Amino acid sequence: MAAYVIRRLWQMFPTILGVILLIFFLFNWVGGDPAQVLAGKISNPEQIANIRKQLGVDEPVLYQLWVFVKQVFTFDFGRSWSTNEEVSRILLTRVGPTLTIMVPVLVIETVLAVTFAIMVAYVRGTLTDRTIMIVCTVAMSISFLVYIIVFQWLFGFILGWFPVQGWSESFWKNLATYAPLPILLAVAVGLAPQLRLYRSFFLDEINQDYVRTARAKGVPEKTVMMKHVLRNALIPILTNIGISLPGVFVGSFLLEVFFSIPGLGREIITAVNRSDFPVIKAVTVYLAVLTMLINLLVDVMYKYVDPRVSFK
Amino acid sequence: MNLRVAAFVLAAVLAGGSIAAVAQKKVLKMAFRTAETGFDPQRIDDRYSVGVCENLFEGLLTYDYLARPVKLVPLTAEAIPVPEEGGTRYTFRIRPGILFGDDPVFKGAKRELTAMDVEYAIKRFRDPRNRSPYEWLFENKIVGLDELHERAKKDPKGAFDYEAKIPGITVRDRYTVSFKLKEPDFNFLYVLAMPNVVPVAREVIEAYASDTHAHPVGTGPYVLKEWVRRSKIVLEKNPNHRGYELDTRYANSQDEWDRRAMDSLRGKRLPLIDRVEIYPIEDEQPRFLAFLNKEHDILDELPFAFIHQVLPNGKLSAALAKQGVHNFQELQPELTYYPFNMNEKAEGRPNPVGGYGPERVALRRAMVLAYDVDAEIQILRKGQALPAQTPIAPGIVGYDGEFKTAAQAHDPPRAKALLDMFGYADRDGDGWRETPEGKPLMVPFKYDGGSQEKRQLAELWQKSMAEIGIRVESQAVMFADLLKDKKVSNFVTATSAWIADYPDAQNFLQLLYGPNTGQSNEASFKLPEYDKLYEKSVQLPDGPERNALYREMNRLILAYAPWRLGVHRIFNHLQYPWVKGYKKHPILYTNFKYLDIDVAAQQAAMK
Repeated sequence: MAAYVIRRLWQMFPTILGVILLIFFLFNWVGGDPAQVLAGKISNPEQIANIRKQLGVDEPVLYQLWVFVKQVFTFDFGRSWSTNEEVSRILLTRVGPTLTIMVPVLVIETVLAVTFAIMVAYVRGTLTDRTIMIVCTVAMSISFLVYIIVFQWLFGFILGWFPVQGWSESFWKNLATYAPLPILLAVAVGLAPQLRLYRSFFLDEINQDYVRTARAKGVPEKTVMMKHVLRNALIPILTNIGISLPGVFVGSFLLEVFFSIPGLGREIITAVNRSDFPVIKAVTVYLAVLTMLINLLVDVMYKYVDPRVSFK
Repeated sequence: MNLRVAAFVLAAVLAGGSIAAVAQKKVLKMAFRTAETGFDPQRIDDRYSVGVCENLFEGLLTYDYLARPVKLVPLTAEAIPVPEEGGTRYTFRIRPGILFGDDPVFKGAKRELTAMDVEYAIKRFRDPRNRSPYEWLFENKIVGLDELHERAKKDPKGAFDYEAKIPGITVRDRYTVSFKLKEPDFNFLYVLAMPNVVPVAREVIEAYASDTHAHPVGTGPYVLKEWVRRSKIVLEKNPNHRGYELDTRYANSQDEWDRRAMDSLRGKRLPLIDRVEIYPIEDEQPRFLAFLNKEHDILDELPFAFIHQVLPNGKLSAALAKQGVHNFQELQPELTYYPFNMNEKAEGRPNPVGGYGPERVALRRAMVLAYDVDAEIQILRKGQALPAQTPIAPGIVGYDGEFKTAAQAHDPPRAKALLDMFGYADRDGDGWRETPEGKPLMVPFKYDGGSQEKRQLAELWQKSMAEIGIRVESQAVMFADLLKDKKVSNFVTATSAWIADYPDAQNFLQLLYGPNTGQSNEASFKLPEYDKLYEKSVQLPDGPERNALYREMNRLILAYAPWRLGVHRIFNHLQYPWVKGYKKHPILYTNFKYLDIDVAAQQAAMK
């Protein structure tokens, strides 16, 4: 297994290089001139040139690319161009609030989706199944933004069950006071598509020969569903969770903007609006590396879920 | 046992006392609609960061809280100096005994404000390493400062020589500083009243050189207690502050806001609020709901999206009125406008709207008449704006409220007649006009594609021009690119706006001064007649003679039409009745030091 992991880690380098080239050239061609934004209302070409010099964007393109490569491999992205804050500090302080929301969302959403999906799959074809599928389809057709606006207005303002927005320094206060509404919202939005997807995974397994065999052998239905069907459906479920995991670390910028959560998603939007390249670079590279590592982790976990999988 | 009971009783009394003390603390909560950048006053220009700095630092001068039109008053200076040597010298004496807030850099000692702190702060604007967005305020202004700037640029390390003495800034003694200007400038005092132009302690800046934004130490009434960047800003009373009293000399007793402020604050030692909590909330709904939910005490700049709910038929809604909410309507000293590129060429091609010949002037004037500014105000801005008649914003010295012009009206028939008269006709019958030479006429229009408001304005512009047969190609570009394109004249027409830095018409009229092309003169308007009038006006103090020059400049602008004037926006600021002393200042963004909170009323409303 060690050889497999080392090989996979080694294969990440060309991908990172591709990410670096893509970000670099995209930003340099379409990213706008940050010096114009930083220069203020009135500036002359000389002042613009001074800012460009200080930011290093007047250097030859290849030299700038080299600096970027060095930053990626030393994990030192310097300081934000707009606020002068250390980029590493921005990432460290923002990832906590994002995870406070997104980890519970992922856990609750997965548990509920798997539970409901297996139940719905069990009663497939019935009125209950059809009703739930129709509700899910309708729920999926509504924009996330509409959910946010309605939930915030209804639960935050009209019913007053939660604060409309806010965040504190205390993890427990955040979890108990400020996080529940965004978590509830994200779960409500995410549940419908997950439920439909996982239901299809379970139905695929229910129709397999081994299930029929188990039933023919008189294995109780509960054991068939929970032991055989669930375990085999876990592989595509795990893959799906793996795909959504990097998003957990970046957060939902809409949730963060609407609920004033100082997370990474909101930070990315601010950085893009301010042409703050060091922050954009750092977040993009961090996300790419994280995606690759999570994919590796999921691949390794397959081995434990499905004994037929072997590392080559 | 008795001792234990006594101890319990004592603890209960102490706890009760401390709870009472906490309960009585006056806390104001509000939101900013945009995130701040930092609090190094010489390195920022966004109004929200500057607004916080207004409370942390104090300049030599400021504006009276209640006086309208705005009036300069001394703050750390003993008095407003009289211009000397024909308006080229200004000498200030700082009040002795003004203290900076405490900071570990001062090693436990109290640090007094001195004239050297003022000198240091002014020099910081021209230190290239600071890349100050307000560097232009002191460019070509103070004798010897440009040379110091040039020396720093030539230095291999870019080091600015703060020790060097220059004839333009003379520290005469511990409390006296004198400025010598290159040219007469009667607006220099306004510059010194800007919330960025404030003294800072050199040792603090040098100690926190890597992150000066996070360590603002000034002489203001508040100190920065807590800062979670772009999420929460907490200010608390500066224990070293000497305190103020409300100056009512310039108040208008007929004005209900002035009256209420005087009733609430008279005889009290300011500031009264112990703690201010500011939450940057970019989105409109949570900002609005946080106010309605009483999570916030004031709502500055009510989002336009909620105008009809809050102000149905222009009056405060019954639900809010019942709660005692007050609405302060503010006509901001700002202007939106649409510059035409006056150069003969633009974007590498002949520019259809550029030039000073009669046909080009006619085309621009026709486009000015075609633009439906009334629709912009009624539909896009929900009635919260006034059409601009001059490039000078209301509340600004030199603004003439009586001046009305038909040249900026929405009048498509007149626009069509003008185009017909100068040969802009639809010769091929395709519905679009051609140039007098018979060539196709297409006018590109650039706007910030990231802004919904600008997208709507672009649509309106295109629709208005189509009505008179002029084809417009809307080009959405990134904000940074739009700024650059306007600076290097790489546009034909575009969206633009200006908010006053200081309350004088010069701050607006310089936007069309020929030598400012490539900087603030986006239209590249170069009219010798206008430039002469501008140069003459800057040599004069405020008065009828200068106002006459401003009027003449305004006529030239309307005649040559380098801009389509837009609007002056109206902002609505809401407060709950327990917030006392509120009045919005047109130049200063915050007013925390003049506010009071009726804690009992606040707590009762929360129940």
